[in-house]
Amino acid sequence: QIDYTGTEPSSPCNKCLNVSWDSPTPCTCTINFTLEHSFESNVFMYYGLSNFYQNHRRYVKSRDDSQLNGDNSSLLNPSKECEPYRTNEDKPIAPCGAIANSMFNDTLELYRIDNDTRIPITLIKKGIAWWTDKNVKFRNPTGDGNNLTALFQGTTKPVNWRKPVYMLDSEADNNGFINEDFIVWMRTAALPTFRKLYRLIERKDNLAPTLQAGKYSLDIAYNYPVHSFDGRKRMILSTISWMGGKNPFLGIAYITVGSICFFLGVVLLIIHHKYGNRNTSADIPN
Amino acid sequence: QEREELFFRALCLCHTVQVKDDDSVDGLKKNRLSRRSCIYISSSPDEVALVEGIQRLGYTYLRLKDNFMEILNRENNIEKFELLEVLSFDSVRRRMSVIVKSSTGDIFLFCKGADSSIFPRVKEGKIDQIRSRVERNAVEGLRTLCVAYKKLTAEEYSKAQKLLQNAKLALQDREKKLAEVYEKIERDFILLGATAVEDRLQEKAADTIEALQKAGIKVWVLTGDKMETAAATCYACKLFRRNTQILELTTKKIEEQSLHDVLFDLSKTVLRHSGSLTRDTFSGLSTDMQDYGLIIDGAALSLIMKPRQDGSSGNYRELFLEICRNCSAVLCCRMAPLQKAQIVKLIKLSKEHPITLAIGDGANDVSMILEAHVGIGIIGKEGRQAARNSDYAIPKFKHLKKMLLVHGHFYYVRISELVQYFFYKNVCFIFPQFLYQFFCGFSQQTLYDTAYLTLYNISFTSLPILLYGLMEQHVSADTLKREPSLYRDVAKNALLRWRAFIYWTFLGVFDAVVFFFGAYFLFENTIVTSNGQMFGNWTFGTLVFTVLVFTVTLKLALDTHYWTWINHFMIWGSLVFYIIFSLLWGGIIWPFLNYQRMYYVFMQMLSSGPAWLGIILLITVSLLPDVIKKVLCRQLWPTATERIQTKHQCLSVEQSTIFMLSQTSSSLSF
Repeated sequence: QIDYTGTEPSSPCNKCLNVSWDSPTPCTCTINFTLEHSFESNVFMYYGLSNFYQNHRRYVKSRDDSQLNGDNSSLLNPSKECEPYRTNEDKPIAPCGAIANSMFNDTLELYRIDNDTRIPITLIKKGIAWWTDKNVKFRNPTGDGNNLTALFQGTTKPVNWRKPVYMLDSEADNNGFINEDFIVWMRTAALPTFRKLYRLIERKDNLAPTLQAGKYSLDIAYNYPVHSFDGRKRMILSTISWMGGKNPFLGIAYITVGSICFFLGVVLLIIHHKYGNRNTSADIPN
Repeated sequence: QEREELFFRALCLCHTVQVKDDDSVDGLKKNRLSRRSCIYISSSPDEVALVEGIQRLGYTYLRLKDNFMEILNRENNIEKFELLEVLSFDSVRRRMSVIVKSSTGDIFLFCKGADSSIFPRVKEGKIDQIRSRVERNAVEGLRTLCVAYKKLTAEEYSKAQKLLQNAKLALQDREKKLAEVYEKIERDFILLGATAVEDRLQEKAADTIEALQKAGIKVWVLTGDKMETAAATCYACKLFRRNTQILELTTKKIEEQSLHDVLFDLSKTVLRHSGSLTRDTFSGLSTDMQDYGLIIDGAALSLIMKPRQDGSSGNYRELFLEICRNCSAVLCCRMAPLQKAQIVKLIKLSKEHPITLAIGDGANDVSMILEAHVGIGIIGKEGRQAARNSDYAIPKFKHLKKMLLVHGHFYYVRISELVQYFFYKNVCFIFPQFLYQFFCGFSQQTLYDTAYLTLYNISFTSLPILLYGLMEQHVSADTLKREPSLYRDVAKNALLRWRAFIYWTFLGVFDAVVFFFGAYFLFENTIVTSNGQMFGNWTFGTLVFTVLVFTVTLKLALDTHYWTWINHFMIWGSLVFYIIFSLLWGGIIWPFLNYQRMYYVFMQMLSSGPAWLGIILLITVSLLPDVIKKVLCRQLWPTATERIQTKHQCLSVEQSTIFMLSQTSSSLSF
């Protein structure tokens, strides 16, 4: 876990702390860190936010699922739930709503430092959203031609975005509404401290570990201001097993409950043996 | 000899019995009629008994035609008597009279009534003989009546008639004026004789009363009969047993000592033993404890209830109730109907506010039935008045036993469980939502999807408890009938007291906390899927909801003692329905919805290993305290009910029966 909010003056990202969201040149900072142990299997890179209430009621309501499903009528006439992020200068916003408007737009890049050379680590951006979300729930508006710019004619970008939605990615199947980063952001998190999947680091071959132990540096394009509401940002690297990430809770809970049950079993067996025998011969008292 | 003839004629004439002519076309029936067995109808079966009895002695009452009563006497001649007046029966003066004119022109006043109301007005006749006979009859438990007559001259009669007319037509205080006139007319009788009617106890009345007493229910008998008759009846129906010490609070005693002294004596006697008695052990069946029975009559009661000028009547009532509380049975005799209601009210308002049940079969019981919490009427020979005014009507007294001990017990257990369970499951439902507010900025964001919110109480959790409320038999019906003492376990609203309610609420809160924080710690700062993708807030809510539905349903399954196929079907069916509903709800992009937030949420949740493990763990943890409590309490401090339950095989499939009792509606006409 690396916290890169930059509130402390010593942090390299301190200079980016008060950058505004629409400055033309993004503020960049670099944080160096060391991995103690190597990560063997596939590594997953997350960005985490704290004190960010994605589960606030007005926030969760503020979206238009039919617009995101590619419905052409909703594209030009978004639902009322999206207010005040519904129209901008009389043009409908696509995608509308506060959730879309606050999309996370920091860019994180990972380099491995090996004897003063920075080796970039390939980050895969496909496969981070739910398959059903990407292929069924979120669809680009239909029309003739594959030109997304034409399909999104008549709409404008959300207020706090730099680029409109059809310029999120150069690849056609990750552009528009079906951009996976966008989809991951639109799935509102349950708790105020959450993490969302950012990129995947795949294991190249079975011999070498995915990420060796050693020095690494994280290049951040700091676009997303969180300081105003005392939020924090961090980057998390994690490996996943069939049970998910590191989750001590389940293990501790099972062991505790198991031992309690075992202990109770023994105690109740003793009690039953001692007192149970008197039940079978007891008459009903008058 | 003349008096004897008059006696028979008096009995034949002094009544309000009607003859029902059998109008059937059947030839056989007509033949029967010729043998002169008519069908008599009256509001009082006593009168019918008397008329039928006289018939056997040779005097048959035939009919009332054109104001003439016709009698067939021993020589098979028809005698006609003109019916001039009927001074009808009322329960205050306890007698009735008729004024008839015989064919010879003599005017007779025949009077029939209770001995206490006839003897004071009699001036000649074999008074002592008859009185001793009457007392002997009463001790044997027979209902006694006395018959007297007076011959009226024509002027006496016309005077009486005028008085009666005036009184009957009076516009104000008609009853008072009538009572005064009756008093004036009915005096200076010549005693003719006495009758005795055996009022047989209903079958199994003794058994029922014994069972009720074993169940801890106090039984009081309120009757209009005289003390000796009533006492004999009580011994017959086992209300007073052989070793019951009878305490008397009767008019006789009060004449000897003042009311004050009598009350104090009695309370001293009774309270001597009360220190060692606890309410629960009071079945009165153990032979080493002295058992008291109290007899009180109507006059004494009215003295107790009369408000005194110095305001000390409260003490008398309190003292009286104190005495009654320590007696195993109370007999109130010579009760007027209103006094019966008065006593019921007195008990209702006493310190412990007990629930009262009044059961009766005659019109004189109606006020008592209306006053008590539960009024039961017996549809019997005395007509339908009692049944019409009651909450429940039963054909025989013995049915009370099954009604109270089996059906009442079952319904109580079912209803108390229903109420507690409803509060419990809704606490479990809403409390996680409440806890979630702390984590969503208090913005009232719901934890569960609206479909779940709506359908929770309607479809996911409603049917199992409904079936429980209809079919649960925590102990089998036969066992309940056999062991009336099991009723004590639910006495005094035991299952709905504060303690039970707080236990259920605590359980609900504990479960809710387990659900919510279990899911919270499961989700906090980790990823629970095997492909690294995240779960959103709807998945979180669905996880909590799934654990919730399974837990509350399994809690009901743990509480069910009587498993029928319907129970199995409903409980497991509800769970299956929940799963199917969730799959369907999330499986399709529903066109009519304007949000698609639940799309595939349930399936995604099920695809995560930790979610499964978490569900199983949380269900187990939330059910654990209740299971422990049940097992511990059963082993260490079992109630009588639980002891019987352990003898019963568990999880055997039983026959499903639904008992239905319908309440009488007073608008029904018979």
